[in-house]
Amino acid sequence: MSDAGERYLGEVLRDEMIMKDSILAVLEEGPKTVPEIALALNASEYDTMLWVMGMRRYEMVIEVGGAKGDGYCQYRAIKAH
Amino acid sequence: MDYDVLIIGAGIAGMEAALSLGNMGFKVLLVEKEASIGGKMILLSKVFPTLDCASCISTPKMADVAHHPNVTLQVYSEVEGVDPLADGSFRAKVVKKPTYVNADLCTGCGLCETACTVAVADEFNAGLVARRAAHIPFPQAIPKKAVIDRRGFSPCHHSCPAGVRAHGYISLVRSGRYEEAFNLHMEDAPLVGSLARACYAPCEEECTRGSVDGTIPIRGIKRFMSDYYYERHPEPEYGVPEKKNGRKVAVIGAGPAGLTAAYQLARKGYTVKIFEEAPEAGGMLRIGIPSYRLPKDVVDRDIANVTALGVEIETRHEISSIEPLKEQGYDAVFLAAGAVEARTMGVEGEDLEGVMDCMEFLREVNIGRAPDLEGKTVMVVGGGNSAIDPARVAIRLGAEKVLIQYRRSRAEMPAHSWEIEGAEEEGVELQLLRVPVRFIGKDGKLEAAECISMKLGEPDESGRRSPVPQKGSEEIVPVDLVVLAIGLKPSTSPFAHELETNKNGTLKVNSHTLETSDPRVFAGGDVVTGPSMIAQAIGQGNRAAHHIDMYLRGEDLSLSRFDLPIPTVEKKDVLMRAKSISFRKPTDKKELEPSERCRSFSEIEQPFTKEEIRYGAGRCLDCAVCSECEACIRACPVEDCIRFDMLPERREVTVGSVIVATGYDLFNVEKKPQYGSGRLKNVITGMQMDRLLAPTRPFNTVLRPSDGKEPDNIAYVLCTGSRDQTADNTLCSRVCCMYSIKQAQLIMGALPLADITIYYIDIRAFGKGYDEFYEQAKAMGVYFVKGKVAKVEEAEDGNMTVFYEDMANSGGLKTATHDLVVLSVGLLPNREALGLFPDQMLKADDFHYVAEVEEDIDPGRTSIAGVFVAGTASGARDIPDSILHAGAAAAQAAAYIENLGVRS
Repeated sequence: MSDAGERYLGEVLRDEMIMKDSILAVLEEGPKTVPEIALALNASEYDTMLWVMGMRRYEMVIEVGGAKGDGYCQYRAIKAH
Repeated sequence: MDYDVLIIGAGIAGMEAALSLGNMGFKVLLVEKEASIGGKMILLSKVFPTLDCASCISTPKMADVAHHPNVTLQVYSEVEGVDPLADGSFRAKVVKKPTYVNADLCTGCGLCETACTVAVADEFNAGLVARRAAHIPFPQAIPKKAVIDRRGFSPCHHSCPAGVRAHGYISLVRSGRYEEAFNLHMEDAPLVGSLARACYAPCEEECTRGSVDGTIPIRGIKRFMSDYYYERHPEPEYGVPEKKNGRKVAVIGAGPAGLTAAYQLARKGYTVKIFEEAPEAGGMLRIGIPSYRLPKDVVDRDIANVTALGVEIETRHEISSIEPLKEQGYDAVFLAAGAVEARTMGVEGEDLEGVMDCMEFLREVNIGRAPDLEGKTVMVVGGGNSAIDPARVAIRLGAEKVLIQYRRSRAEMPAHSWEIEGAEEEGVELQLLRVPVRFIGKDGKLEAAECISMKLGEPDESGRRSPVPQKGSEEIVPVDLVVLAIGLKPSTSPFAHELETNKNGTLKVNSHTLETSDPRVFAGGDVVTGPSMIAQAIGQGNRAAHHIDMYLRGEDLSLSRFDLPIPTVEKKDVLMRAKSISFRKPTDKKELEPSERCRSFSEIEQPFTKEEIRYGAGRCLDCAVCSECEACIRACPVEDCIRFDMLPERREVTVGSVIVATGYDLFNVEKKPQYGSGRLKNVITGMQMDRLLAPTRPFNTVLRPSDGKEPDNIAYVLCTGSRDQTADNTLCSRVCCMYSIKQAQLIMGALPLADITIYYIDIRAFGKGYDEFYEQAKAMGVYFVKGKVAKVEEAEDGNMTVFYEDMANSGGLKTATHDLVVLSVGLLPNREALGLFPDQMLKADDFHYVAEVEEDIDPGRTSIAGVFVAGTASGARDIPDSILHAGAAAAQAAAYIENLGVRS
């Protein structure tokens, strides 16, 4: 067992199922980057990246254009979800 | 001969060999262990040096293989062994793993994966993103069919005597799908609210997380979802099934077993009537469990789940013979009368007024005829949960003093420890090694009990030490009420003349089918098992319903598939798969304070909040991967496409020749911890970068895993795990230089402003056009540094610091900063094939690749006549060389079969 700061990949991925509703709620305010979503969730950016990409794969979120000047892409919720 | 050639592995080499042989007219069996053919090549972005799209090259070949009339493709299958035969041919054992999806019906729509509630690392995307337990391997998969990653039963499911799929509803609750979770439970058992409160939860005892930092609160999760559902649905949402089959079943006993069997049979279209002796249905749930543990409105709502299907319950109707039911036209009978007859002590004064058995006492309380115990002394005799319950009830009825006398010590008490502790917290006094030997009364009314102390002697047949009375320790104790809780007997005596019984009074049944000695009568619950848990009774009800249905449909009960031979996943395998598990505090039980709870019959256990319950469910380790939540089945537009009753299919085939095309493994970067892979989020492997560059990439573009930013300064570390004695692989992997240069060129196209540095020992660009490709990369601005990287560390700003030895310029140890590091991992032999043949007949070379006995002049020939090797199974090769090598192996196999003179 490790401390909460070092999370095994599988644990983080599993948490997508808990976090997806919160992420969609955050995106109701409008498109956001991964760091912005992480900040809103008080979660790590790495974990949030994995969750957002999982949700993107299953068409819950989608990118809004390409990366902006700061190098980050924004993501928005897909309405069907 | 079933096939001319067996080819093991359907990567590019296996596919090429299959097509070559198929085109020559040979019948080929191509076996692939993954769910799709294509091997690693289909996962690549492009190929070097032409930069042709890897998918565009692979997919037509994959389609040709799938549709070739001479090639039989068997995916998700493994060859378990190959035995050479005397005539030069071979016999192979092939096992098809269950996909739980009917490939003939699956349309590849992907709705199952969208609905799935279990997220795991996607191996086809090198762990960069999650896939679902139900998944199609990748968009161009052939066959494009879903597969469900199910490793067996999760321990929580396996340990449930009722067969309730706990993992399933946990994963649904984790996803916030509470009503679906409830409905899944209803597939397995209708008494959700009762189980949520009164089950002893063997699932929690078996929970893998329990051996880490505490069990998942499985019963608490059930409580939440049943409360959630019942609040929103005061009545069941369904009614009597439209399709009735015209058959009638009588059920004797409206306890958990009878109610469950009736429910399951009614769902199948049977007309079911339950006969219950008591004034109200529910059995033990109604009369045996105090309402502070199980409120009776919850029992009522649970029973409504059964009666909504049209099940009729006739209470106050005692059945004392089976025969009249047959005469009334019932096609089958399920006898589930329970165990409500109390055992007696056989001591003087047991018949006095004021001496009761525990069932009588609890029944009176539960039907509103509680005795007045205000200020009185109550003695309960027994050490099981059935003793704890009346003691705690007596406290709530105002008794001044409540004693439990038990003849053994605390360690031998059958009651659950938490029940004993709860009773003590409420003021119950435990008197151990003590027992009444007679009850003393006046005018027929109890006044006192004479008690004696005991000492533990030798173990008896149950393994527990026998209590031995201590002469001279007798004592008269004034008491107002004695409750005997020394055991219950199955209520089978009225039927003993019709059905065979065991010595202990239980009914004799076939333990699998629950058939009794009368073919039309099935029995289950406490009449078969003796006094037991609610969950076990429910399990018996399910079992009986399944077999009554089979019986009435005229099926052979010996062919029952009720107990499928599906293994339970081993906890150690789950923990090994998880690698490390971070501590997550278990959700604490919430109970009323003892001072508060002993004043009323209010429920002791308090419900969890939504947040607590999702957190609690989120701790689940998904032991079996697939949770059996059936979300996929509900989402699938094709009926019966997904079936959880599939089993592995084994077959033996005879073949003329074998081609081993099992490919290669990638170096495990965890063996080079100094490079930080797995620890540093922005250190990835070459295969991960290839996925990021592929058209079917896991991210929307090339992004840093740490935060989703486009990287602008990328480093490549060549020879990671190859040409490296410390990594136990001295061989050059032949492709790492070139795939790294390929990726560098592609990144420059995707991220034109990015800087790319390749740290190398020497660049090996030996093929046609390879050196030109290298020069082209340099001309494009890729920066090549001749230097061996020692380690990679994360700087305070999150960037990666690369420590390297500058071998070409000024020399010495240097550092450089990058925001993404790609480890160009080497190729390793896949040793799986070596074990497929008996007695180590298939020889390996010094590097553990399949040996070619005369590599220079006889490519593909192995140490076994008739067995050939193709592609990277015999050494690191690039794609063109693999294809060439596969062609050679195919030609060798063709010649061998022709010489053998036997064709399929």
